[in-house]
Amino acid sequence: MTDSTHTGGDVRLSGISKSYGSFTAVHPLDLTVPQGSFFALLGASGCGKTTTLRMIAGLEEPTTGTVFLGDRDVTDLPPYKRPVNTVFQSYALFPHLNIYENIAFGLRRRGITSVKKQVGEMLDLVQLGDKASHKPHQLSGGQQQRVAVARALINHPQVLLLDEPLGALDLKLRRRMQLELKRIQTEVGITFVHVTHDQEEAMTMADTVAVMNGGRVEQLGAPADLYENPRTTFVANFLGTSNLIEAEVVEAASDVVVTAGGGTLRLPANRCSAPTTTGGRLLVGVRPEKITLAHADDAGAIAGGRNRVTGRIVDTSFIGVSTQYVVDSPAGAALQVYEQNIERDSRLAPGAEVVLHWNPAHTFGLDAAQSVLAGTVGDAGLDEAEDAA
Amino acid sequence: MTLTDTTPAPPAARTRSARKRLVPYWLLLPGVLWLLVFFALPMVYQASTSVQTGTLEQGFRVTWHVATYWEALAEYWPQFVRSLVYAGTATFLCLLLGYPLAYLIAFRAGRWRNLLLVLVVAPFFTSFLIRTLAWKTILADGGALVGALDALHVLDVTNWLGWTQGDRVLATPMAVVCGLTYNFLPFMILPLYTSLERIDGRLHEAAKDLYASPATTFRKVTFPLSMPGVVSGTLLTFIPASGDYVNAELLGSTDTKMVGNVIQSQFLRVLDYPTAAALSFILMAVVLLMVTVYIRRAGTEDLV
Repeated sequence: MTDSTHTGGDVRLSGISKSYGSFTAVHPLDLTVPQGSFFALLGASGCGKTTTLRMIAGLEEPTTGTVFLGDRDVTDLPPYKRPVNTVFQSYALFPHLNIYENIAFGLRRRGITSVKKQVGEMLDLVQLGDKASHKPHQLSGGQQQRVAVARALINHPQVLLLDEPLGALDLKLRRRMQLELKRIQTEVGITFVHVTHDQEEAMTMADTVAVMNGGRVEQLGAPADLYENPRTTFVANFLGTSNLIEAEVVEAASDVVVTAGGGTLRLPANRCSAPTTTGGRLLVGVRPEKITLAHADDAGAIAGGRNRVTGRIVDTSFIGVSTQYVVDSPAGAALQVYEQNIERDSRLAPGAEVVLHWNPAHTFGLDAAQSVLAGTVGDAGLDEAEDAA
Repeated sequence: MTLTDTTPAPPAARTRSARKRLVPYWLLLPGVLWLLVFFALPMVYQASTSVQTGTLEQGFRVTWHVATYWEALAEYWPQFVRSLVYAGTATFLCLLLGYPLAYLIAFRAGRWRNLLLVLVVAPFFTSFLIRTLAWKTILADGGALVGALDALHVLDVTNWLGWTQGDRVLATPMAVVCGLTYNFLPFMILPLYTSLERIDGRLHEAAKDLYASPATTFRKVTFPLSMPGVVSGTLLTFIPASGDYVNAELLGSTDTKMVGNVIQSQFLRVLDYPTAAALSFILMAVVLLMVTVYIRRAGTEDLV
């Protein structure tokens, strides 16, 4: 860790870990959050994401490892000496102070007496100018949330940490606050590290997402990259939905050919995150919206070169913009298909024989040694993690 | 009430709803009766006593002799002032001793919390009188404690301040204040604990995150938020302490008489009932006034 070239305001975690007795909340972790980026730590509760955030804030002491802000080692600095501020999940606004004093708190603690102009600007930024003399309990959840952001941002921290700040808001308000936070981040240019369990929130807001599971980072990347190229079953299932089919490799060249349930599927070798050897096993994945559904009678009209799986519809549900189908096939049970509601084929009802087909380039391959269910709702691994939390 | 006026409710339903409306009053009844018989009526009786004149032999009659109040105040104002000073000092000491303990129990005690709370209340298992008498032994002349205080020259300081006399602690103001402090300490600790315990620990983290050192966090967040406990603790200590007479009786001397002692002796020894009643009312009025001003100044309405 002697490399100090242009790391001005990066957050760097080096070999950082946290254990409570025999329970390890965060396994040794290396992570760099580039200056000015919007970074999300995504995972189910108990995955260690909040602990990681709290170690950056100084509210939790790491068991091992070092926290760098830029080139400065802040591992041993108490939270009140770190140029880092947090937006807490519960907002933690001071109930005995009005909104103005809540926002001015950090400035006053640093001995700044003329806070009026800055507090005014902050109140404008979060559009709460008329609430300055209110007490926190007189404000709605969304307004409190904005005060919490203003209270942290006014200090111009090097890094703003957000601990599930939108968790307590209802869905509509949450969507609005996501845009709002994104706007603020672009405006002030401060590094944001955002902890969330909501994959949609992470993907819409962040430039980079780190998916955490069981105290480890499973995969890190841009949202689209994570979604299109998941490297573990956990990521494939936790970010959106994936159809995972267990298959056997029959040919491993630039295109990998596999068999599953009597049919043959192809995928590009560079989309396999696991080594492929002929005769070996592979989990083949495809996202539900990449699949086109055709009635078995029209099977002849399907273009050549596409991956095909035959099956029978067992369930359909109409969502509005799309219809979701559940299809059982020899290759795998309960395959999900999302079809846009452009021209609805009335023959596609439960019981109908269908052919699922998709572009082989949309197929990804995962290591078959993992649990197919990792990252799905009700997955045993997740429950265990929650118990531990 | 969702009943509509066009269809009258069946009689059974109407009586049931009427009975339902009466329930709160039934629940209030025992308490109200109690207060009426044991508080309101005695107050009226005592008010009337305070404006009576006469002697025990000839009997007392209401003559609206209000001058009793002025006379009582003129004669016994030193005991009044002493009561307020002793009670005030004891309250301050209780706060000084009780706050750290309540803080420790609320935030640091972990699994020892309940045990510590039991220990705070444990002295109540022994009678008030016996505990106060025990202080006589603790502060006994030539005892270990007094000897130690003397050796450490603490007594020189307290003598100079007028709290103790010579090499004695017993029968001095200090003994009375010590007794008061000891006896009312739990009444300070429990409300303090309750209000400290209610403070969201995340507020401490938020303060630390916003550049407040532990000391500043206490000054700007913890203490202001514990004000309801400070207010109720000081009231629960100050009010009974200012009317107390047991500590001054058992641990003090004639020079440390409090207004409670005066009232007690007027009622039971001198048998001057009007003066005793007037003194009680003056004490009540003074305490009520002080409490009102105090609560106004403390401004804790927002924190409840």
